[in-house]
Amino acid sequence: MRSCTSDRYVAERYRRWREDNSRNSDLIVQLWEEVLCAKVDKLGDEKWMVLEQVAVAALDLHKMTVAEDCLVMLSKQFPGSQRVRKLKALRLEALERYEDANDVYDAILRKDETNTVVRKRKIAILKSLGKTSEAIRELVEYLKKFMSDTEAWMELSDLYISEQDYAKAAYCMEELLLHNPHHHLYFQKYADIKYTQGGFDNVEVARSYYSRAVKLSSANNMRALYGLLLCCSQIANSPKAQAQKKKENTKIGQWAAQCISDKYREASGSEDNQPVEQLLGALTLS
Amino acid sequence: MAELLLDPDIRIWVFLPIVVLTFLIGIVRHYLSILISSPKKIELQQMQDSQALIRARLLRENGKYLPQQGFAMRKHFFNNEDVGFFKTQKRAPVAQNPMTDPNMMTEMLKGNLTNVLPMILIGGWINWTFSGFVTTKVPFPLTLRFKPMLQRGIELLSLDAAWVSSASWYFLNVFGLRSIYALVLGENNAADQARLMAEQMQGPAAAMPQDPKAAFKAEWEALEVCEHRWALRHAETELLGPGLTQGETIYHQNMVS
Amino acid sequence: MASGKVRAKVDKASGDTVMYNDVAVRSNSAVIEYCRTSMAALGGSTAGILGFTGLYGFLFFLLCNVTLWLLLLLKAGISWNRFFVSRRSLLTSGLFSGMFTYVLFWVFLFGMVHVY
Repeated sequence: MRSCTSDRYVAERYRRWREDNSRNSDLIVQLWEEVLCAKVDKLGDEKWMVLEQVAVAALDLHKMTVAEDCLVMLSKQFPGSQRVRKLKALRLEALERYEDANDVYDAILRKDETNTVVRKRKIAILKSLGKTSEAIRELVEYLKKFMSDTEAWMELSDLYISEQDYAKAAYCMEELLLHNPHHHLYFQKYADIKYTQGGFDNVEVARSYYSRAVKLSSANNMRALYGLLLCCSQIANSPKAQAQKKKENTKIGQWAAQCISDKYREASGSEDNQPVEQLLGALTLS
Repeated sequence: MAELLLDPDIRIWVFLPIVVLTFLIGIVRHYLSILISSPKKIELQQMQDSQALIRARLLRENGKYLPQQGFAMRKHFFNNEDVGFFKTQKRAPVAQNPMTDPNMMTEMLKGNLTNVLPMILIGGWINWTFSGFVTTKVPFPLTLRFKPMLQRGIELLSLDAAWVSSASWYFLNVFGLRSIYALVLGENNAADQARLMAEQMQGPAAAMPQDPKAAFKAEWEALEVCEHRWALRHAETELLGPGLTQGETIYHQNMVS
Repeated sequence: MASGKVRAKVDKASGDTVMYNDVAVRSNSAVIEYCRTSMAALGGSTAGILGFTGLYGFLFFLLCNVTLWLLLLLKAGISWNRFFVSRRSLLTSGLFSGMFTYVLFWVFLFGMVHVY
């Protein structure tokens, strides 16, 4: 009886992961091997979704035997399916046979040129081969066609960051802000990029976006608080700033520092916060 | 109100079968349409157009969260007279006649096969098999205006408007069972023909613009009049509250809390 | 990074911007719709079997709706505004589509039990 409830529970967890697009590969494979593997037939139509999920997770962990078992079952059920073909190509990728995988992807694309997942896989191959500049070029081409693909914009932003092309990375983050202007992590990341880019104006922009991130996260985003503090101290110490602006920024910086040390006090549970405050002081002065 | 005595056999052989039949036909229609519907083939060009339109719409709605420069850059990309996306991308006007497109033809045929045809066939059959019965009485009084609606197939002037004929009972079922289908089959089911019909009317307009040329022009106009007002201008003030000008008190308040 | 689309709405009373998770709101209203249909079907059957006629039937429908509303509020508890946008729309939305189902079931069971 216990097993009956537990395999339903596992299926439920799998479903949640599928919906959230969470990776969790190790957990998926572990649960598969311990619980679900023997009872997969009980799942009904959901079986195939679970098999696909497990196959991808197993490939992620390079557990080839598990992945191959799933693939065999899937290709027996859906002989001509493009989706299974894509999984097979994924296996080739995991075996580092990138040329072959690329060929399969090309074949799929010839049949259905709007298959975005496959297009993105091709770019991912370039990335895993370390050809960042080529990946960027392909991704830009891709984004010209599929302009509202947030995942791709995010990836492009990361690629530009790794190439230290911060202006372009910022452009990509702006695109994500357009899609979801209420997510504090997007604001924080955009501000990160702007701050890294440097220069008085950019730091000022970063300060605005950090404060927005702090507000949206109800002052729980530590990174944004630190960012706000750094931006403010930088502006306050800049020779370009006027007296009024310096004063204003000092105040915001003080507020951020106060928030940070409050957080530390909360977390540590002790009244004595001397070391943190000293460190913060060092941060502000620099 | 003159009471009418109905033969109990009508209940078993007319009244009940109509309900059961309508319900089962709905279920069968649902699975049939799943069976014969094919996934829609989307052209790359269409996809690009719709995604560009989504992006432009988002720029209009959420552009205020970008810095001035970022907004201007994107507006330039879409709307510039010489190199703007909406100006340079020329789309041929869509062919108005769906008959020229064989793909569309089969889709329409399939749609008719699952929607209109059963409707006519079953309706006709029910009308023919169960014609001329007075099946039931609605438990609330109705005015004479409802007579043609509820007593289809029975032309009796003296009959009270509350009585329902078999044909009308069928139609009542067809419309009334709609939410039950949603209960049994889940949302977006195909048994719900009225909604399906409405969707056919608009086409899948929400996802794919039927006529990209017109859509581009409309979006271009909308974007052209859209001004940038930065939403984050007072982000710090919002964060710290109006007390920003009196910094000391803020500091103090936080110390207390 | 982001789960579900978020929608903002300005609260008139406090002037604050409130964020909603679009997917969650939609799934909540789907569940409510489910309850409503079930309630309409059951209520209609009850009314038909008990043989309500005329105004009493419609009053019973309203009674059912209010009961369902109260039960939902009881279920949601004090923090109802975490699940629903407004309490009143919980009562009024979908009243007419529910009415259709109710009347059908009412007529059906009334016919089965009382007419013949």
